[in-house]
Amino acid sequence: MKYALEIERLCKDYGSFRLEDVSFAVPGGTIMGLIGENGAGKSTTIKCILNLIRRDGGSIRVLGMDNREDERAVKEQVGVVLDESTFHDTLKAPEVGKILRRLYRSWDGVVFERYLDKFELPRKKTVKEFSKGMKTKLSIAAALSARPRLLILDEATSGLDPVVRDEILDEFLAFIQDEDHAILISSHITSDLEKAADYVTYLHKGRVAVQGAKDELLETHGRLVCGRADLERVDPALLVGRRVGQFGCEALVKDRRAFAQLYPELTVDPASLEDIMVFTVKGDAQ
Amino acid sequence: MTGLIYKDIVVLKKQLGYYMIFLVFYAAMAVMGMGAGIFGAMISLVGLVLPMSSIAYDEQARWDKFAVSTPAGRAGVVGAKYLFTLAVVGGMTAVVVALMGALRLAGLLKESVAELALTALACAGAVLFMNSFTLPLLLKYGAEKSRSISMGLFVIIFGGAFLGGMVLKSWGSLPAPPIWLLRALPGLLVLLVAGAFGASYCIARGIYEKKEL
Repeated sequence: MKYALEIERLCKDYGSFRLEDVSFAVPGGTIMGLIGENGAGKSTTIKCILNLIRRDGGSIRVLGMDNREDERAVKEQVGVVLDESTFHDTLKAPEVGKILRRLYRSWDGVVFERYLDKFELPRKKTVKEFSKGMKTKLSIAAALSARPRLLILDEATSGLDPVVRDEILDEFLAFIQDEDHAILISSHITSDLEKAADYVTYLHKGRVAVQGAKDELLETHGRLVCGRADLERVDPALLVGRRVGQFGCEALVKDRRAFAQLYPELTVDPASLEDIMVFTVKGDAQ
Repeated sequence: MTGLIYKDIVVLKKQLGYYMIFLVFYAAMAVMGMGAGIFGAMISLVGLVLPMSSIAYDEQARWDKFAVSTPAGRAGVVGAKYLFTLAVVGGMTAVVVALMGALRLAGLLKESVAELALTALACAGAVLFMNSFTLPLLLKYGAEKSRSISMGLFVIIFGGAFLGGMVLKSWGSLPAPPIWLLRALPGLLVLLVAGAFGASYCIARGIYEKKEL
């Protein structure tokens, strides 16, 4: 399998926060969702990939190249959308195109114009006059027009309305139709990733907490809703985290099939990525 | 890297336009008897303020993170700032020399064209020398923090020069410098400015390589 991105034992120490032994790989033709609560290490990981910060350990290979030794070649093939608009307020969309065509060898002005039309971005308005959604669309149009093989997005969809988010996710799905393309997208909006991601890496307190193919994760994990007495007789080793309320209890089951065999009388519902995230944090707190 | 310089020009074009209006105003003042020296002040002002503004605007837009993520990388960001500074100082000097020359040919200025050009070039050299100190500071600490450091630096440089002049004056007349030194002085000053600017670029590259964005 060809990997667009391979991260092995990535470490970064800030003193108060440590990114520790983060490893994952993004195969070509897929979308990897990087999820986790605020401050879990998603942006730190992306910054290490883009060389915005220096890693303390581990290795990062982008499209088979080392991200530091072959930095220029790597960045020619990576499209980037950061969490906030990075274009100056006084710029207009066509000016952004004129700047970026001088930065990327593979810049495609026709594609950029097409995206401006598709996203209905006005050419005469400045970035300052754009809504948050329009700014994100401009960043995505710019990233895709550089004809990248790997698209890296840091919280690009947060703060956008569901319609715009859906429109953008469709673009991502179209992008990865080419097996040579891949996307790494960090987000704490797990519903977006449930819709689009093929693989998920969940970072928690700077470490990989859960990782795997999204469908497999959703298939194996389950949400147990039961009474307090039922919960007390369940082997805690089978559960990730639990929530005990006045009227009932909830818990995340690690292996739905094994659990059903052991406790056939208890009902386990399918879990969402959000359940996996929330219960992992709860389990950690217990 | 050309994209980054082009970006600075596009972002600062409005400000550049304002300076052109200033220049017309200064020209009127020079013609009215304030002398051509006022043009030198214009080169210094623009040459110092525009690079500082470009870094401040980049910070405001969080452009620096994006720029480093492009193929230009860290080296491109630093190189573009130095080339932009050279372009601004060079361009402004050319405009000022052309304007002073036109005013001289029209008989509105008393100084000779050579004298006027020398004034402009001396100011361009001085502002490049000052940028050699401010640019690494701007790239390390950002526009906000380095503004106060730069101010302190100017007070030390100009205050030191002023005090030095006062001290020399109090000593009475000094012996004239040897002729060879006077002849070599322009070349030495050019070398000093070029050396300082080059060294500054190397220092800035080192600083920016280590900067966490």
